[in-house]
Amino acid sequence: MMYYSNLHIQFKKGCVLTFLFSSILLAGCASTDVAKTEASAAEVAAEQQNPADPYEHINRKIYGFNDKLDKYVAKPVSDAYLWVTPQFVQTGIANFFNNLNDISVILNNTLQGKFEKGAEDTGRFLLNSTVGLAGLFDVAKEVGLEKHQEDFAQTLAVWGVPEGPYLVLPVLGPATTRSVPGVVVDTATNPVSYVGYPVQVLSLLNSRANAEGSLKFIDEAALDPYVFTREAYLQHRKYLIKDGEIEVSHDVADLEDAFYEDEEESFGVVETTDRMDADNAKPAEQENLAKTEGYTLKLSADKNGFSQASESFEDALKSFQEASQSYQEASKKLDQIKH
Amino acid sequence: MLNIQNSFRLFVVLLSFAFGYNVQATENISTETETRPESARQVVEQFQKTLLDVMQHGSELGFEGRYKKLAPAVKKSHALTKIARIVVGREWKKLTEEQQKELVDTFTRLSISAYAYNFKEYSGEKFEFVSEEETARGGKIIHNLLVIPDDNDVKFDYMLKKINGDWKIINIIADGVSDLAVRRSEYTSLLKNQGFDVLIAKMNEKIENYAKQ
Repeated sequence: MMYYSNLHIQFKKGCVLTFLFSSILLAGCASTDVAKTEASAAEVAAEQQNPADPYEHINRKIYGFNDKLDKYVAKPVSDAYLWVTPQFVQTGIANFFNNLNDISVILNNTLQGKFEKGAEDTGRFLLNSTVGLAGLFDVAKEVGLEKHQEDFAQTLAVWGVPEGPYLVLPVLGPATTRSVPGVVVDTATNPVSYVGYPVQVLSLLNSRANAEGSLKFIDEAALDPYVFTREAYLQHRKYLIKDGEIEVSHDVADLEDAFYEDEEESFGVVETTDRMDADNAKPAEQENLAKTEGYTLKLSADKNGFSQASESFEDALKSFQEASQSYQEASKKLDQIKH
Repeated sequence: MLNIQNSFRLFVVLLSFAFGYNVQATENISTETETRPESARQVVEQFQKTLLDVMQHGSELGFEGRYKKLAPAVKKSHALTKIARIVVGREWKKLTEEQQKELVDTFTRLSISAYAYNFKEYSGEKFEFVSEEETARGGKIIHNLLVIPDDNDVKFDYMLKKINGDWKIINIIADGVSDLAVRRSEYTSLLKNQGFDVLIAKMNEKIENYAKQ
């Protein structure tokens, strides 16, 4: 049940961006199960589909390809890298690329109207690039400036672009149609894209090495690595878009429905009083609606897009107010320090 | 020079505000008395205590020792039968009574094995209570932080339901990823496409792999 706790310990232990990279880069998980799951792909496509994954049939094939690529190429190389490189060098390299990634984080925070976070990340970048010796040391974290995870796909989401169907890209791994332009912009805003290929290779090695923990975890825990990766990826992306402030109860309603579902016919294992309450049924219905949002968005993108855009404008305004408030508080504190 | 220092300090002060909310995490100490029926929060904290204890003695206990210690704690705090039913969705009703029993039994062993395998080391981790939330249909969500030294905190949300008068964990959401939702997609898809026997075989394979390490 609680596989996830460890997954996330490993996520965190690997690197801040571990999951993202694990998904983006060769999201295989060296498992022999893949052949079996592949075999069932046709049936899966024929059977009832997950509305978020209409191309499951082809996605599974690409997933299988990525998996093999990872198993026979990326993993051996990455293992060798991990074996020859001392831990502190690995950390330094990871920090270095994280620091370069902060440029894109700053840009996307700004584009999303998160000025306060943008300011923090600017601080991070300046501090780490100077005191942190070109990013080799994450000194900003020591002062309390945690890294944020932002990318252009998240910006698009905040702007109201619908998520679109789930895709598995060759070599690159899990994505949605929304994240495809995201990848392009992120690549363009990452300085690594403009330097020689030795640095790029190192960057890839670093990404794969940092994803090792998560990939190993998926391999150990997943009964169907394809489905596991898809669900975890889609959920984690949603979480990132909301900056971790997702209201859990929102997502939980659907599961609560499932909780009662099997009781409708069985001998009341649990309390039955509030089950069919009109008041209670209503929010559940709304939650269900919300759940299919990704799907309906496709049909009525304009309306939803508009409301999301206006919401994001409100968010931007709020964040601007927060920023100015904290400026005031900061100057007050500074005055106190002076006296 | 002084100016630069000052503005740097302003900068740091300014930026540290954003993290102010982290500080209050541990403050809300439960005022509920320790009456017999445990509160949702107590159920979670009791379980976390066992978990940390097992982690601290991980290597000396070995897999089997950890399994034995965790089994009663997991069974007590988790609604394993309920979870097993939810993860297979509507397919549950299509299973024979024997199959249902086998599924619950295998799922229980798999869950405990996964805990025993994944929580074998301790490097100063601790859980911190953040807040409690009530869901639309009378469930509770206990928001926690898993604090890992030298690393970012992990948001841990436990979802509980009252079953026969006792609060039981039915889901864990870590950094936005809901275990129950992921499992449900996996199990229903496997069951639908490859059948009950394959599902059970895969679960047993995982249990064996966990025990091996």
